[in-house]
Amino acid sequence: MPLLALAPVVLLAAAPWRRLPLLPEAASLVALALAAAGLGIGTPSAFVRADAVSATLGLLVAFIAWVVLRHARRQMTGEPRAARFHALLLAAVAAVLVLVQAANLGLVVAAFVAVGAVLRQLLLFYPDRPEARRAAAKFSTVWGLGDLALILAAGLTWAERGTLDIATLNAQGMPGGAIALVVLAAALKTAAFPLHGWVTEVMEAPTPVSALLHAGVINSGGVLLLTLAGAVQQSPLAMAALVAIGGLTALFGAVVMLTQSAVKTALAWSTVAQMGFLLMQCGLGLWPLALLHILAHSLYKAHAFLSSGTAVRAVVATTRPGPVAVPSAGAVLRSLALALALYLAVAAGVAALGLHKSPQALALGAMLIFGTTYLVAQGLADAAPSALTWRLLGAALLATLAYFGFQILAEATWGPALPPPPQAGPLEWTLIALAVLSFGLIAWAQTLFPLWAHHPSTAGLRVHLANGLYLNAALDRLIGGFRAPNT
Amino acid sequence: MFLKPIQTPPRLAAALLAAAETAARAIPPAFPLEATVAVNPFLGQSGEDLAQAAARLARVAGVALTPPRAALAEVADDDLAAALIAATSPLKPRDLADLKARLARPAPAAPQALPTVADLVSRATGTDFAAILARSFGLWAAGAFDRGQALWTPRPGMGAFAAWREWATHDLTPEIAGLSGFCAHVACAPDTADRAILRAAGRLSLTPEAAETAFHRLLIDLGGWAGHARHLLWQAELAGQSDATLTDLLAIRLVWEEALFDHCPAIAADWAATVQAHAAPVAPTPDQVAEAIGQEAIERAHQRALAALLSGPAPQSARPALQAAFCIDTRSEPFRRALEAQSEAVETLGFAGFFGLPVAHRPAGTDQREAHLPVLLTPSLGSAATGDVPALRIAARARRAWGRFRQAAVSSFAFVEAAGPAYGVKLVVDALGLGHPPAPQPLPRFDPPLAAAEKAARAAAILRAMSLTGPHARLVLLIGHGAHLTNNAHESAYRCGACGGQSGEVSARLLAGLLNDPETRAGLPAQGLTLPKDTLFVAGLHDTVSDRVTLFRDAPAPHHAADLAQAEAWLAAAGRLTRAERAPRLPGARAETLARRATDWAELRPEWGLAGCAAFIAAPRAMTRGRRLDGRAFLHSYDWRQDRDFATLELILTAPVVVASWISLQYYGSTVAPAVFGGGDKLIHNVVGGIGVVEGNGGRLRVGLPLQALHDGQAPVHAPLRLSVLVEAPRPAITAILARHEGLRQLFDKGWLHLFALEDGRMTARYRPGLVWEG
Repeated sequence: MPLLALAPVVLLAAAPWRRLPLLPEAASLVALALAAAGLGIGTPSAFVRADAVSATLGLLVAFIAWVVLRHARRQMTGEPRAARFHALLLAAVAAVLVLVQAANLGLVVAAFVAVGAVLRQLLLFYPDRPEARRAAAKFSTVWGLGDLALILAAGLTWAERGTLDIATLNAQGMPGGAIALVVLAAALKTAAFPLHGWVTEVMEAPTPVSALLHAGVINSGGVLLLTLAGAVQQSPLAMAALVAIGGLTALFGAVVMLTQSAVKTALAWSTVAQMGFLLMQCGLGLWPLALLHILAHSLYKAHAFLSSGTAVRAVVATTRPGPVAVPSAGAVLRSLALALALYLAVAAGVAALGLHKSPQALALGAMLIFGTTYLVAQGLADAAPSALTWRLLGAALLATLAYFGFQILAEATWGPALPPPPQAGPLEWTLIALAVLSFGLIAWAQTLFPLWAHHPSTAGLRVHLANGLYLNAALDRLIGGFRAPNT
Repeated sequence: MFLKPIQTPPRLAAALLAAAETAARAIPPAFPLEATVAVNPFLGQSGEDLAQAAARLARVAGVALTPPRAALAEVADDDLAAALIAATSPLKPRDLADLKARLARPAPAAPQALPTVADLVSRATGTDFAAILARSFGLWAAGAFDRGQALWTPRPGMGAFAAWREWATHDLTPEIAGLSGFCAHVACAPDTADRAILRAAGRLSLTPEAAETAFHRLLIDLGGWAGHARHLLWQAELAGQSDATLTDLLAIRLVWEEALFDHCPAIAADWAATVQAHAAPVAPTPDQVAEAIGQEAIERAHQRALAALLSGPAPQSARPALQAAFCIDTRSEPFRRALEAQSEAVETLGFAGFFGLPVAHRPAGTDQREAHLPVLLTPSLGSAATGDVPALRIAARARRAWGRFRQAAVSSFAFVEAAGPAYGVKLVVDALGLGHPPAPQPLPRFDPPLAAAEKAARAAAILRAMSLTGPHARLVLLIGHGAHLTNNAHESAYRCGACGGQSGEVSARLLAGLLNDPETRAGLPAQGLTLPKDTLFVAGLHDTVSDRVTLFRDAPAPHHAADLAQAEAWLAAAGRLTRAERAPRLPGARAETLARRATDWAELRPEWGLAGCAAFIAAPRAMTRGRRLDGRAFLHSYDWRQDRDFATLELILTAPVVVASWISLQYYGSTVAPAVFGGGDKLIHNVVGGIGVVEGNGGRLRVGLPLQALHDGQAPVHAPLRLSVLVEAPRPAITAILARHEGLRQLFDKGWLHLFALEDGRMTARYRPGLVWEG
């Protein structure tokens, strides 16, 4: 039943009458309606999962698809190649819909390959732009490597288990090599360090493509892990690797983002960071929270890309109220204490409700509280008027409540369909401590940021970070991206 | 590498630096998108005619300055012959047959700019150093000129050259791409821009003759960044200061050239040939001369149509029931025509939309002032929003703090987890266009306030400049214009150019307040003007997307309730007429739904701006009333019989006409040479630094009008014509003004503008170069 949502999308992608301007959006609306209708009444089959996770993802993808296609319909009005564009968008949506609902690893692999092929065409919508060709080449290389890893994983699994049925694999486990390959594929497809370069350059296609890519496609690596959560979690090493890669990517991407002055580029680096965070959540075994992150990030990022033309107005709005009040080290300490108190109070409240919290969840909460510190610190800065202080404290309280509220909701909705976090052993504890510590350090640095960002000694660091530590340049050199176009 | 101290002989040094200065002046300023205005892209070439400028820009930018020859297919022989006779170039074709034969041939291959060292090295080594340079430079410039987009920007307070040196000694990208030793090369570069320019010029064997276009070539290569630097210089000079950023950029680009030259000595011979080509004087080819003649013929065809349309004055009523002053903007023309169609008793006027008040305005919630006046002028008045309460600032600062929470490194994760789901709602709201247009701004007031004498003096001067000296209606509307758009980076380009890219609301409300002020009224008779006691001024705002006019009832007017109700009814009816006229030209539009384009976040063509602009008419409205000018004319009200010493005429010719020429030439440049003077494709625009856009992840800032402002997807919507200026005034008066203003005269003498004298609303004489009239 959920796969029915595909039908209008596939039909229209191939149909000759797609030239009618309203049809692509109509198809996506029908898909959305069907996905919503399929929520309660799906029946699992050999090809289609029908659990809370796949239903949520199907609904999410269909919703994003509607927004994106509606946007594209208006933006591409009059554009000579609009029909081709809509067809390609619809094809991409269809492939992602299969991907998030497939019950068979073979089908997952096929969907991944299809997504890669369609997206490549979209990224080459301006085939004459050398930048577009360079970006598409990077995308295809990394995405193709991911596909290769998955095909190998599927082959290994088939050879050893004789089945590719995902439910069976989650119950019985997968061979160690296959799990390693799945983790590798997930890292490549979520643009994890060090092969994140493809995603920071793909604003070469019209804006709706970026929105779809960042909201619907790039989290497919996370979807892959969620799909195989039962199997992946059986390998502590794989989980540890996810925490390490994810945590590193999250911090790396977030710091590079600070230096980017072009709106879509900054958003792309933010995606790198958020996908790293997603991998880390997976690695910690916080599967429902990972799904929540996919959902929240998709909605936020789709909106951010589609509204990226407001950046000029946003800059005016930030400069108008005068200089930013800079918090001192003391104010930062006070705000950290305040934020911790806030966290403890809300966590105690949650505990009082009788909800159990794993050490992993508590660690994640701590990391997020470091973030809230930043909000509070801006209010506690000496130059900030007290009205501003109270307002920002209120905002921090709301953010904390919202965060815990969504968390409880996520665990209640998707918890039953996903494995609980693993018992924390020495390895897990080490990683948790390391992650909390490094997030804390960066958060501390970020809050004191105005005090050191313009110090001459950090100028070099800023240059290296603005260049993303040159990993893109190195990849370009490797795959010939610097070659002059043949004239 | 051996770095001998290089001594440039003083005279050579002076000549080279003068060439650098000339090259810098050849670049037109590009105003940031926050408040952008049209700029004449040929500002630096206005001392040359079209063919000469075409030759120069073909050499330095690789663009043609005339539309494809196919546009000439329908031009009448008479127009071609007249343009041919008028041409002064010694290279012009012998006769009409010769001209037609030349233009009938397929155009010679598209012009190629002379290569830079980077181009030559890219070709020789197979590594695209030109692209690597653009990317590396673009990344630096984006940060260096950022006005608040990134949280971590470079250290402020350094000159561009010093800041770049700090960047480039650390940036490993060029070395990874294969340009080994680049960081060391930069570290050893001279520490000032001038010395770096001189050293590089010596290394590259640039003679003073070759340097000017060679430098110009390099600045063009930097795209809009050079234009932005030129804007910094423009602003500094308006304030009586100077700014070296543009020279710094040239120095930066030359340090690159030097490094690439050292990297690949094999290009020496090709480079020597290029230098020689740069040293040759800029001279048009016979083809460029013929194309310029063809362009003039197209313009003559338009002028003939205009002459046929203007056939004398329309009758006027004694005391109109309603007078409405609009901006001279071409978008006012259809609306004014529609408003006058409502009643014989309605009279409209045209005047620059800042209404003669050169104010720097401070909106609510900020200490910053925005200039609401043409960019040619400096503000001499201040104004501020009334009712500026601290709560506004607290709200703005809280929003900003939340924005930084969203953007900063670790807190961005907390933000997504806590607030991400709420964006589902925002997506629905924005996808369905449920956002609201903004509320009117708080009432502006003069700040500092004006003394009574100044009020009367200003008011009298403005009324005279508007030719609004009587008879006055009971109700006089002062209608500025603006365009509220959603999610459009080029939003300010749709606003009022005469208000420096802001909405005309503030200026109109200030003037209405000034003219209603009892102190003003009391002082006017001493200025030789009287306003009837029952005349009320009311400000309004014309939204050019929806063609709705909002009136601001800033003062109680119990005796004018009926007049206002009647005016609002007429304005509403005029809006309907205008929408019906405009809608068919916009893709995917219907008259009833035009307003929705303002709230649609995916709309790339909310309206056509000033596309199509072709004429500027300074005359009493009676001369153009009822003539369908299709939104292609700037209409300035002017009655020379009321103009003592022709002071108002001088003002019109030196300010509004120049601003209109900038607009028309911006459309011209963006249409004929989109690669250099066009803003690129909005589908892949990426806002950078809060000041401009790049395409995709390209490094070059794109300035000028974007593709979607000029093209409906199927066909271009702007016919590139140089503006025809029509002035109802005695010819000697016009000539005397031109003789006093060298820069203005150049625009007409070199053909960047056409000038006609009107007599009783008929085009009777054409201006010819050298202060001569023909006809």
